[in-house]
Amino acid sequence: GRIPSSFPLTQTVKRSVVLHNQRLTAVFLCRRVTMRGASTGIVYGGLKYQARSIADVKADTDHTSFLAGTLSLKEENEVHLIRLSPPGSELVCEGLFYHPNEIWDLKSCPFNPRIFSTVYTSGETYGASVWQIPELNSQSNAPQLEHLISLNEHSFKIKCVLWWPSGKHDKLISIDEGNLFLWSIDTSNKMAKVISQESVGMLHNLSGGAWDPHDRNAVAGICDSSLEFWDLRTMKKTSSIEQAHARDVDYNPKKQHLLVTAEDVSGIRLWDLRRPKCPVKELPGHAHWTWAVRHNPEYDELILSAGTDSTVNLWLAHPPGANDSMSESPVDSPKRPKDSLLNSYTDYEDSVYGLAWSTREPSVFASLSYDGRVVVESVKSYIRRK
Amino acid sequence: MDEKAKRTRELLASFYSTDHSAGGGAGVGSAASPRKMASPDSINSPSFDPDVYMSLLVQKLNLEGLLQKHVEMAAEIKNLDTDLQMLVYENYNKFINATDTIKRMKNNIVGMEANMEQLLAKITSVQSKSDLVNTSLFEKREHIEKLHRTRNLLRKVQFIYDLPTRLAKCIKAEAYADAVRFFIGSKPIFEAYGDSSFQDCKRASEEAIDLVIKNLEAKIYSDSEPIEARAEAVVLLKQLNFPVDSLKTKLLEKLEDYLMTLQDEHKETGASALDTLETSEPSDIGKLSDTILSLKTPTGTHMVSVGEISKIIRAYLIIFPDSERRLIELIQELFTKRYGIIERRVKERMTSADILKMIRVIWEDVTLMDEVLAEAALPAFSLEAARSIIRQFISTSFSHLLLEVSEALTKSQPMPKKGSEESSLQNALEGSKKVVIQGSLDLLLEFRQLLDDNLELLAKLRDLIVDWVQEGFQGFFQKLDERFLALCGKGYIANPDSSVIDAIQVDKVQTGLVLVLAQLSVFIEQIAIPRIMEEIAASFSGGGARGYEHGPAFVPGEICRIFRSAGERFLLLYINMKTQKISILLKKRFTTPNWIKHKEPREVHMFVDLLLQELEAVGIEVRQILPQGLVRRHRHSDSTGSTNSSRSNATREDKLTRTNTQRVRSQFLESHLAKLFEQKMEIFTKVQYTQESVISTIIKFCLKSLQEFVRLQTFNRSGFQQIQLDIEFLKNPLKEFVDDDAAIDFLLKEVIGAAHERCLDPIPLEAPILDKLISTKISKSREESQSSSLA
Repeated sequence: GRIPSSFPLTQTVKRSVVLHNQRLTAVFLCRRVTMRGASTGIVYGGLKYQARSIADVKADTDHTSFLAGTLSLKEENEVHLIRLSPPGSELVCEGLFYHPNEIWDLKSCPFNPRIFSTVYTSGETYGASVWQIPELNSQSNAPQLEHLISLNEHSFKIKCVLWWPSGKHDKLISIDEGNLFLWSIDTSNKMAKVISQESVGMLHNLSGGAWDPHDRNAVAGICDSSLEFWDLRTMKKTSSIEQAHARDVDYNPKKQHLLVTAEDVSGIRLWDLRRPKCPVKELPGHAHWTWAVRHNPEYDELILSAGTDSTVNLWLAHPPGANDSMSESPVDSPKRPKDSLLNSYTDYEDSVYGLAWSTREPSVFASLSYDGRVVVESVKSYIRRK
Repeated sequence: MDEKAKRTRELLASFYSTDHSAGGGAGVGSAASPRKMASPDSINSPSFDPDVYMSLLVQKLNLEGLLQKHVEMAAEIKNLDTDLQMLVYENYNKFINATDTIKRMKNNIVGMEANMEQLLAKITSVQSKSDLVNTSLFEKREHIEKLHRTRNLLRKVQFIYDLPTRLAKCIKAEAYADAVRFFIGSKPIFEAYGDSSFQDCKRASEEAIDLVIKNLEAKIYSDSEPIEARAEAVVLLKQLNFPVDSLKTKLLEKLEDYLMTLQDEHKETGASALDTLETSEPSDIGKLSDTILSLKTPTGTHMVSVGEISKIIRAYLIIFPDSERRLIELIQELFTKRYGIIERRVKERMTSADILKMIRVIWEDVTLMDEVLAEAALPAFSLEAARSIIRQFISTSFSHLLLEVSEALTKSQPMPKKGSEESSLQNALEGSKKVVIQGSLDLLLEFRQLLDDNLELLAKLRDLIVDWVQEGFQGFFQKLDERFLALCGKGYIANPDSSVIDAIQVDKVQTGLVLVLAQLSVFIEQIAIPRIMEEIAASFSGGGARGYEHGPAFVPGEICRIFRSAGERFLLLYINMKTQKISILLKKRFTTPNWIKHKEPREVHMFVDLLLQELEAVGIEVRQILPQGLVRRHRHSDSTGSTNSSRSNATREDKLTRTNTQRVRSQFLESHLAKLFEQKMEIFTKVQYTQESVISTIIKFCLKSLQEFVRLQTFNRSGFQQIQLDIEFLKNPLKEFVDDDAAIDFLLKEVIGAAHERCLDPIPLEAPILDKLISTKISKSREESQSSSLA
């Protein structure tokens, strides 16, 4: 009874079948599957519309769950709370909530499993809010989300909201095309106020960012052709990486100063902030744009990337310093572990924009392709291989 | 009877051994009772008990037997008795003989004593007579001895008085050896009496000998004298306690100065040769090296050859045998400097012939010198020098080749003028191809000369040369790959530890160059490496100085792999660079306008012109470098452009009428189903090294990017219609580039689909308006191209 029966009859004919019987999906997609090799992932087809955003519910320590939000211009958008059933064989919709606008960004609160943030647009208007999932004991199929906070100080198109990834912190960052806002939030009193704001000017165009998990005062912002770093105490730029046309950036969760970027041309590049002049490593990335890139929260040498070529790639990239590879000769050192593409997950029909590792089960990740399909894969075999 | 028997037995026992005494006793004692034990022999044993024997016998035998035994024994006893008697007689006989002999001896001794006394008397008389003679002759003998001594002394005095004249005679005859001998012989006398009796004589002699010394000295210095004579002179001088060592040092210094001036001349000529090198043609190098290395200086003032030096050294060796070490030092220094000149020269680009010529000239000198001064170990020294020279030569040759390749690549960078750009990429490719293959083969040819040369010195280096050449090629191609990367601005990856990043920025890299590199990598992998491998196998196999466990130094498989992946990487890089450029164009196009407030489309947006222009540029570059694909579709010539467009207009009209009715409803599902079966197979295929493959890949990527950009926007109806118009217009020009109509159609449809999805009010433009706007655009662009061609 968790799934509403009133699916619009467009693409979801197939989807509803998928949801009830995975084997049927296999029959339906047999032509694709035989051509690309058997798919291993667990598919969730409950999202009815296009979607870009998926987030790991980090604070949920009892279940491996993800939040996914749809991006539909004309229909009523939804947020799905998806849970991996305990044996890890099935994806279950744990909750379905209507969201007033199409969701461009969705982040789960790292310390409260029921709180998350969204960035949304509606025509010309845009906004960013923090929501709370209502208690799930009611009989309603689609209970209303509780709106906690509106981050409405933005004068440009909002790009993303950042929570400090490493635990409880009463601050929040929101990024729009021209500004960086640091908010102090109080979810219980539904209060939010801007602590500080930094404008990057008209020439730069912010499109995203990441909050350093090792330093709650450091944040990285993606500009047109560079990566900029700010100190939140002074709201001043500390450093920058030039010549980086990044689409996504992710800090290494285990080692400070290291981060990875996803770029259109250069694929995936690993950087050491202490030497921002040139990348530490380059990985080829995707056939088309590399849209998203994420370190595994536990095994930081595993890097996941999603691309507009409808694939998700799993990479093994040893960060420098881990085995003193800097001192070794860079060429032809047979002992040095090779960085390599471990696997390419190709079971997607459209560009993959959403990517999230599970913090609770680091061997599991969820991916979301534009057509609204959530695929959860396990990388256990690659972890064991190390 | 018992008594007698016992005595006999004892006697016998004392005569024979104890063993036999018992036996004998037993045998003799016939009365003794026999004892029968295990054997009849026991009768001879020392523990023979006659009673036991008897009783045993009695018990055992019957009467007849006993009687028989008795007879036997009696016979035995008789026999033994006879033997005994015989022995006694024999001994007695011997005794009698001995007595006779003693008696005879006694008689003979009696006369001897008298004879002895006689002998003694005679000897005494002889001794007394001898003493007598001795005393009588003593006086005379003493006198004679005295006379003899005086005569000797007189002779010596005479000799000394004669010495000056004799020395003068010797000097005249140049018999200096005699003169020295005479003088040394008389030296003790001069020392003893020189101040008194022989004063004049001494002075005259010393004057003469001074003259001798002077003459000898002159002889030593004179090069025209035979060496043996000079050596002898040194020996003589040494005998005269003349300070020869200072002489030696002086001479050696002379030689040293001489060598120094020689070296200076080398240096001067060397330097001047180097100076002229910079200005002169390479063909002159050979001639120059001739003049540098043979010791004949151009001025001809000295005209000294190593042959002469070797003669001098030979002479010195004989003259001063202890000067060897210094000479070795001098000669080694000389050759070190000469090899040093070559080593300096090798850093310039030289041919093997030059190197060989230079080494050969020196080697000839070395052999010449070695004959004289084997201890200098010049051949070993030369081997070492030649080794480093040739190694240097090989590595220099490779680095020059590397430089030439990168020059060939960068020299003909696209010019700003359009006309020259047409062929410049091709020139760069062909030029660099030629440099790679021809340069490599030339190098091999050069190195072949090193191997084929019969110079003994090089024969020893053969294996090493083979290894160096192989190593050289391996290193060369690895470095070439790195150089290629650096040319693309990716060099920092190959060398991440360098603190200074001098790699060219990616933005500044010429895209054409990347394409050239891609194709050049393919050429190296497929043509150059197999060719070089063949050549190496033909004439540079073996080697093995580095040990078999390492395998051959040149691993063509590895190089091929490097360049295969490099080629693919460059091709992808080219595509990426191009798509990135177009991507920026598209990004600007999509982020600039406010799509929600877009005005009704009036004309095809100008970005399509820019897009097509970029693609045209790609086409120009690609056509210069890459081959055409095997399957080639019919290409519409420009003259048929109008009919072509009208024809495709008709088909589009069909499509539009169909889509206009169906599109709105089924578009979503349709696109998804299409995606299901088409997308991945069509778009992201492996790029091939053909013009079509590269262009179509770039176009596919651009259209995919277009779709992604569209998805990020929200459109109003007019915005959607603008996209529809632009895409509709692009359809035909794009198909001019690519033979894969289906993929283009599909991707364009995807773009429109994406715009449709992101549109608040997706109502497409009416077909007539669409057509009209497109034909306006076509005629306008045709006018423009005409006016530009007229101008």
